[in-house]
Amino acid sequence: MQISLQQVVPDFFETGKANGSQLWNQDIAFSTGENVHIIAPSGSGKTSFIHFLYGLRKDYSGNILYDNNNIKNYDAEKFATWRQQNISIIFQDLRLFTQQTVLQNLEIKRLLAPYHKESRITAMAKRLGIESKLAKLCSTCSYGEQQRIAIIRALQQPFDFLLLDEPFSHLDENNRQKAMELMQEEATERKAAIILTDLKKIDYFKAERLLYL
Amino acid sequence: MELSYKNIAPFLTAGQNKVSRWLSYVGLGVGVLLLLSSVQMYTNINHLIRDKNTRKNGTDFISITKTITNENMGRDNRFTDADIKELQRQPFIEDAAPLKANAFKVSANAGNMIPFSTDVFVEGLNTNFIDTVPDNFKWKEGDEFVPVIFSTDFLEMYNVFAPSWDLPQMSEKTASSVQLFLLCHGRNGDRQYKARIVAFSDRINSILVPENFLAQQNKVLEGVDNIPASRVFLKTKDANNPQLLNYLAGKEYHVNKDKTKFGRVKGVLQAVVSGLAGFGVLVILLALVLFSFYLQLMIARSKDNLQLLLTLGYSPSWLSKTVAKKWIPVYVSIIVAALLATQLLHLGFQHFVTPARGELPIVIDWTVLAIAVLLLALSVAINYRLVKKSLTEL
Repeated sequence: MQISLQQVVPDFFETGKANGSQLWNQDIAFSTGENVHIIAPSGSGKTSFIHFLYGLRKDYSGNILYDNNNIKNYDAEKFATWRQQNISIIFQDLRLFTQQTVLQNLEIKRLLAPYHKESRITAMAKRLGIESKLAKLCSTCSYGEQQRIAIIRALQQPFDFLLLDEPFSHLDENNRQKAMELMQEEATERKAAIILTDLKKIDYFKAERLLYL
Repeated sequence: MELSYKNIAPFLTAGQNKVSRWLSYVGLGVGVLLLLSSVQMYTNINHLIRDKNTRKNGTDFISITKTITNENMGRDNRFTDADIKELQRQPFIEDAAPLKANAFKVSANAGNMIPFSTDVFVEGLNTNFIDTVPDNFKWKEGDEFVPVIFSTDFLEMYNVFAPSWDLPQMSEKTASSVQLFLLCHGRNGDRQYKARIVAFSDRINSILVPENFLAQQNKVLEGVDNIPASRVFLKTKDANNPQLLNYLAGKEYHVNKDKTKFGRVKGVLQAVVSGLAGFGVLVILLALVLFSFYLQLMIARSKDNLQLLLTLGYSPSWLSKTVAKKWIPVYVSIIVAALLATQLLHLGFQHFVTPARGELPIVIDWTVLAIAVLLLALSVAINYRLVKKSLTEL
């Protein structure tokens, strides 16, 4: 499985803004099994890049291909199947159902394309220190706890690519490492790729490629 | 575990408007009940009036005469051949045939069997206009036997006055078995024939004999070749057609209203019931519109959650089907309840309105069931399209 970028430039970029980027306006591909670390300062289009890859936005020139299929041509049903089976994401803004419990937030994703049993949710929550929050409303959790919920949610499905958009911004060092370890274990189990974007280099993410946006 | 509406329900139900939902359920129930019971009433009316009107194969048969007034009393008010041809030319009249009368005198008696003798008139009419024509309603020159078709109304009249004249009352079967004698007198002599009633007619108030018998007797006994008719029978698609009635009124032709009375009553009743059915359809439409507002409101209020479900990989068509399917049991319950209520109304109608039991089938008509199934399919389809459209617009 491969995600290929062909001369992708956001429509809203001013002329010359993409110059010097190792991703914008380049031909580049990511394959399953590899870890890619993308470092990007604020305003360089980091979140837009992740949203382009996930198919949430189409306001760019160039092409993004998944196994030679242009994702701009996917319809809503194809996107649904793709997001159930091939690609998972942790949004920078988390996107949780704040009026539902933590467990409901995780189950609604797990049930869609079950990769793990329900018991694995409890095990993961315990590992990341939010087991006691499972029955609580999501809105009552701190941002750091919500970040860990979003991480566990992304791991409930099969995937070839895991997209992470500043996934640790509100976690302490200890929790960052635990979360990263969990994600790398899960990706390895699926022989999947991790594409992580952050403002600065994260040392405990064992990336084969380091790219600057 | 298979994903179902139960799993996504907590993400949709926040802040839904229960009043408008229940109002739409009640509206739908009332509308469906109005429509179904109107259709049932329509079939009941058809069923009850079917045997009592003059319609046959979608055609009305009516007789007309020229209106007799003080001004035209002395004149010949019979129909000429030209009059009949003009009637036949009218687009709203399918056919017209004269009811030809006898020019000679006729008296009938029942021999020694019943001490009864009376002067009668006999008439001849094209058999296409007669409702009951048995195979033996034929006569040829030299035959001593003449078949007769007798009006059921005349038999009823006979049975009314018979007891006071010490005559026996008779059923149709008995009357048919009585041997009659027709004595025909004319300028050129007398003739006697044996006769028997071979059929009874609901449609024609007359004593009918074969046309060729009448023509031959008129010619032989009175020397008359073609006697003008006082009455003309019309065959028309609708005896209540305003064009036809206006034409006849303009010509000062008098219509035998008795025979079209049932047609008119039926027409009025059917119009009333059709109006009710139309009102039912209107109520159903209003209920569906109200329900669509409720659904749109629910979807609008759950917009963020639905958008997130789609972002997480939920398929729009699965969401539409699942949300729409949720209301199938509700629709089924409403329509089944309306069907049961229609059945109860139908039983009530049979019990309280129809005079004799067994005139109507006990179970509601199949068309009512078919309409109920159609309404169910329509409601589910509209619901699905609406949800899908709302989700696509998110």
